[in-house]
Amino acid sequence: MAKKTAAPLQAQDKLTFLLSLVPYLVERDRVSVTEVAAHFGVKPEQIREAVRLIAVSGVPGETHTYQYEDLFDIAWDDFEENDQIVITNHVALDDSPRFSAREAAALIAGLQYLSSLPENADRAAVASLMSKLSRGASGLPSQVAVEGSEPDDVLALIRESVARGVQLEFDYLSSTGERERRRVDALLVESVDADWYLRGWCHLREAIRTFRLDRISELVVTDEPISHKAADVTLPETLFEGSADDLVVTIDVAASAEALLADYIPDGAVRTTVDGRVRTSVRVSHYHGLKRLIASMPGVATVVEPAAARQIVADWASAGAARYHGS
Amino acid sequence: MPPESSTAKVPVEERLFSLVLALLATENGLTKNEILSTVQGYRQSFDRSGDNANLERKFERDKDDIRELGVPLETVQAPGDPGNNQNLRYRIPRGAYELPLDVSFSAEETTLLNLAAMVWREGSLSAESRRALLKLRSLGVTADEPVLGYAPRVRVRDAAFEPLSAALERRAWVRFSYLKPGESEARVRTVKPLALIQHQGRWHLYAHDEQGVSKTFLLRRVISAIATTGKTFEPLEGNQSQFALAELEQVWNEHVAFVEVEPGSDAHTRLGKRRGTVVAATGELELHYSDVNIFADELAGFGPEVLVISPPELRAAVIARLERTAADHG
Repeated sequence: MAKKTAAPLQAQDKLTFLLSLVPYLVERDRVSVTEVAAHFGVKPEQIREAVRLIAVSGVPGETHTYQYEDLFDIAWDDFEENDQIVITNHVALDDSPRFSAREAAALIAGLQYLSSLPENADRAAVASLMSKLSRGASGLPSQVAVEGSEPDDVLALIRESVARGVQLEFDYLSSTGERERRRVDALLVESVDADWYLRGWCHLREAIRTFRLDRISELVVTDEPISHKAADVTLPETLFEGSADDLVVTIDVAASAEALLADYIPDGAVRTTVDGRVRTSVRVSHYHGLKRLIASMPGVATVVEPAAARQIVADWASAGAARYHGS
Repeated sequence: MPPESSTAKVPVEERLFSLVLALLATENGLTKNEILSTVQGYRQSFDRSGDNANLERKFERDKDDIRELGVPLETVQAPGDPGNNQNLRYRIPRGAYELPLDVSFSAEETTLLNLAAMVWREGSLSAESRRALLKLRSLGVTADEPVLGYAPRVRVRDAAFEPLSAALERRAWVRFSYLKPGESEARVRTVKPLALIQHQGRWHLYAHDEQGVSKTFLLRRVISAIATTGKTFEPLEGNQSQFALAELEQVWNEHVAFVEVEPGSDAHTRLGKRRGTVVAATGELELHYSDVNIFADELAGFGPEVLVISPPELRAAVIARLERTAADHG
């Protein structure tokens, strides 16, 4: 299939929006532009533009000339003066469209992936939801699946702490190898593929921190009230914020493995080709993380400089290999 | 000549919207000529006496774009004149277009579906999930405010995902070069793609080869572009993604490793929390894995925190990796 350019994709999205908006409006006698915008999660001006287009659209009709009765119509005064939408005539469209096979597949696979959420504990309800998606699709949902992680009581405890408005307390092993007892106001749970993270206000560090769930142990829900609520905190966009203290390391990586390092390569990093490999830079907060990362990509990624970073990776791998000597 | 001022350019979405409306409204279908000469967005450029080849191509692309959204745009043969393309009629049957009446979603279900769509906000299926959300909002249900906020994300970084998913959709045979883990030479494979599965954080293609034998491929080891052979195949019985997951689980179950971990280390905490890990009385961990080479990479990352006891091939693979990394950085 030919790769689509961005332009038709945009038109497809706009068409989907129109086909979704009309039944919503037809169902309501009168609704304000702001309410519709909030419901669809778009700017009010986008709703107004769509309504203007709908109001002059219709079908060619028997005369093939788009006569008045073959067109949508709205109460123009209400629209122009009060920002209210009242559909006074509608043609051809009544009900919401079906999902495409791929759309249904995306939602079904998403539900599978989220099977470990406490919200998904009722397996029968989720199965019925998936079957409704299949019935609501215009074709057999294509086969995409994501393994769900194990039902995890950590997530249930985090949720409980938020519901009760109290702090969590747990042992956390940082990536530098320090183990500390932390008290945290849970704000958001994020995941990337098989890795799950808690973002929260850390009372020890007095800052927003990101914790890997698999580095959390001895988790308890305390009775101590939280000081930071999710609604009051603006979280940084990215899980791990770059800082001015970050170390920049030059590496060579096989082109096929470059994507695996994408999270560490800063925007605008210089990229050259050296001996068939990509030479670029990665940003890390300390070499402890770097040595683990590079050692997990043997023969594929090599640190070029600084020498101190090369040495730390070499020592880490040698120490690992040494454990097998003489055993 | 165009019936209206041809200088007023009709936006693409208005043309597509008008086409959908016209085809939903017609019982018996419209011929291509009727569509091009009367529907808003086409009629402006329709030439009654001349050649409309450009307009016809535009119509062909529009049909594909509309079908891709799940709109069932049908062609109907003219009863007295089968095979004559000029007399083919186009329509959108209402029953196949509209969401069935018994498919509705509660506020709770809407919340879950919002999350499920959020999973794909990056990359390959993001356009699909965005459109699915619009259709969901069309039903007018307001989602529950969640107790705890989630931002789930599944990433697709394998270039092969998109073309394979398109081939899967069309049930088209595909051909690609595959470097099997542990082998040094890639081989060309020709298979029927049946499902795309993420297992243990990695994307796999589940497929049948020319003998009908099921095969699983790691997407990141597909080293060529995905070519289609021009052949398509009949749909197979059963839920292929469930078969695929079951096979991956079986392989994962059968592969057992014993490792020693440094108490209190990162390896101890993280490997100990992996699904299916058993801590033996001696403190050793019993772990499951899918592929010896991939697992060896992961274990090598833990450096001296891990000592592999068995199986021997995993032990040897980890030693070779650590020595390689040490040598590359020496």
